[in-house]
Amino acid sequence: MPMYKNGEVDPALKALEERQDEVLRRLYELKATVDGLAKTVTTPDADLDASTLSRGPAEAVFRGTADLDSLLGKDLGALRDIVINANPGHPPLSLLVLHALLCQRYQVLSSVHVHSSVSVVPPPLLSCLGPRHIDSYVRQRFQLGFTLIWKDVSELQMKFNTQSMCPIEGEANVARFLFRLLSAEPQDPVTVTQMDSWIDTAVFQLAEGGSKEQAVTLRSLNSALGRSPWLLGQEFSLADIVCACCVLRAGLNTSAAANVQRWLESCQNLGHFDCVYPLLQ
Amino acid sequence: MTKENVQGAGEDEQQAQSKKALKKQQKEAEKAAKKAEKQAKLAAEQQEADEDDFAKDRYGISPMVQSQQKLDRALVRVQDLTPEKAEQQIWVRARIHTSRAKGKQCFLVLRHQQFTVQALLAVGDRASKQMVKFAANLTKESIIDVEAVVKKVEQKIESCSQQDVELHVERIFVISQSEARLPLQLEDAVRPEGEGDEEGRATVNQDTRLDNRVIDLRTTTSQAIFRLQSGVCQLFRDTLINKGFVEIQTPKIISAASEGGANVFTVSYFKTSAYLAQSPQLYKQMCICADFDKVFCVGPVFRAEDSNTHRHLTEFVGLDIEMAFNYHYHEVIDSITDTMVQIFKGLRDRFQTEIQTVNKQYPSEPFKFLEPTLRLEYKEAVAMLKAAGVEMGDEEDLSTPNEKLLGRLVKEKYDTDFYVLDKYPLAVRPFYTMPDPNNTKYSNSYDMFMRGEEILSGAQRVHDAQLLTERAMHHGIDLEKIKAYIDSFRYGAPPHAGGGIGLERVTMLYLGLHNVRQTSMFPRDPKRLTP
Repeated sequence: MPMYKNGEVDPALKALEERQDEVLRRLYELKATVDGLAKTVTTPDADLDASTLSRGPAEAVFRGTADLDSLLGKDLGALRDIVINANPGHPPLSLLVLHALLCQRYQVLSSVHVHSSVSVVPPPLLSCLGPRHIDSYVRQRFQLGFTLIWKDVSELQMKFNTQSMCPIEGEANVARFLFRLLSAEPQDPVTVTQMDSWIDTAVFQLAEGGSKEQAVTLRSLNSALGRSPWLLGQEFSLADIVCACCVLRAGLNTSAAANVQRWLESCQNLGHFDCVYPLLQ
Repeated sequence: MTKENVQGAGEDEQQAQSKKALKKQQKEAEKAAKKAEKQAKLAAEQQEADEDDFAKDRYGISPMVQSQQKLDRALVRVQDLTPEKAEQQIWVRARIHTSRAKGKQCFLVLRHQQFTVQALLAVGDRASKQMVKFAANLTKESIIDVEAVVKKVEQKIESCSQQDVELHVERIFVISQSEARLPLQLEDAVRPEGEGDEEGRATVNQDTRLDNRVIDLRTTTSQAIFRLQSGVCQLFRDTLINKGFVEIQTPKIISAASEGGANVFTVSYFKTSAYLAQSPQLYKQMCICADFDKVFCVGPVFRAEDSNTHRHLTEFVGLDIEMAFNYHYHEVIDSITDTMVQIFKGLRDRFQTEIQTVNKQYPSEPFKFLEPTLRLEYKEAVAMLKAAGVEMGDEEDLSTPNEKLLGRLVKEKYDTDFYVLDKYPLAVRPFYTMPDPNNTKYSNSYDMFMRGEEILSGAQRVHDAQLLTERAMHHGIDLEKIKAYIDSFRYGAPPHAGGGIGLERVTMLYLGLHNVRQTSMFPRDPKRLTP
């Protein structure tokens, strides 16, 4: 055979193979670039930094971390630790998304504990807040604490300042509290009401409702998402987070209509939902 | 008076006397007759009784067991008396908890440790009247051997631990009789405090219990407490051995006071004096310098503190840990807290019966904890206390009421009874504590709390002879007295940290009890040296 001379491969064949490898490699790179561009193009703008919001009647200004003092009370030298008690049978997915967002804005000390009322917790739930921060042994260096405790509770509960605040119950209410810490709440009261309405719909119709209510909600979602990229219009908000998490937890994502699917993909592309997918079984 | 008269009078007297004497004699004769009659009657009854007592061989007081013979007889424990043994004829050795006669029947409750079972003896073809009477008159706490048939019962016997069976007694013998008057009644000793006051029934106060500890320890509550305490010790050992620790024994007679001169017992030592060790601190550290890396020891600790509180003893059992670490003393805190969590889990999972038994007399909230253990910093604790209205300085030590309040605040927020407080101010810690590298006012030291009370005080130790000397001088300590201690760090010493807990205090706080004497078998305090 002309290709093999003296048991050795013909150098011409070798060169051909190398060119083929090179072409394939460049093709893969091109594909990856196009994929990335496609994601950027098809995913609506979802930056929660208020300085890039379109100018509306009420302009929000990015206030930075000093607003933690006004939101949570003066820093007395103790770590401002938000304690969330959740049942491992019902992981609060929207709070995990909010945690990821909080970590982008502040220096957050995250920890996960198992309470003695629970004997066994599946490993994914123990690492749901991500890897431990390298400086986590020096609590003082952090602006905010996020302590998730897996406990045998009937209703999710958040405790913050036990002297001046009663506990907040229910995933939706805790989500509203945490969202405020991001200083990205819409200022216009109509929009705020719409956001609250979507959140309540998600909790009562999607999460706790029967299949009929779920179907109705999915249709409303689909039609709303046909008009704009996010539920409240051009801005990504808490409504999107809570609704998406409820849809995912109820397992309705695979059978949902086109707009809802596209919207879920956009949520995923943002990167904040990465912590949620490993917990969906 | 003439002689004749006197004579006459004498004769009269004699007559009168003889009449009296007669009467007297008569009376005595009657008495004797009655007595003889009575005796005859008794003898007759006795004979009758003996004649009728067909069960004579089936009961009685056995001769004292002096190992006269080897009986091939299996004794079943009370706790093994279950419906599976129904209709079997078995022998049981137990104490008489109560015995009550009711006409022709005698109800006994037999007890062995925490377990009780009802036994019934009725006059019939197996038991005679005399036998039932004998059983009813047995004193409480006597140890008896009983041969009986196990019978199932339709209605559960609520008052006993073995609720589904009762014993029908065939033979009953006393192995060791108890005196009739007991210094305290066991039912009173297990009665919850409130119940005693309400229903006007007695409870036993602590001093009486401690004076008669042998009887007090027989109660179900005491049995449960000390079995659980044994569990704590065992879990401590097992967990540490699994982590690669080595158990060591340290001397208790030492030449110099380790923690400070004030609270130490002195003993005469031949021509000089010596001290009883206040903690194994120095020796644990020497073992680390001798390359044992991870050590623990279980042994007595002596503190001559004249504190008459609910949580201080002059002698208690110390469970101490010392460990060399690589780069940060938190490696040691993590190891210690993990050991504590394993102990709590072990108690929660394997000693529920004991916990429930103790709770019957001393109700309390179950012990709660987090895994991994919650660790707060001293500054945070001060801020939390200030937010709750307490006035204190940043470098002030925590007073006992503040510790308790902090415990309540932590419980409210995190729902845990166990947590660690890290980075204490340097000024309030012993001279061998390593200062914080980033802030000279603080130190690499920590305390651990259970239900708001301190159970462990620990720190990274100074392992440099030079720094140690400086710190000792700063605290005004006589360097001559600690020369041997400082010398152990001169020939290469690894960075290390550790801490120690008190077995009695940990048991007390885990169970939610309120006095450490309840968890010390034969407690020692400034006012008590016996039993």
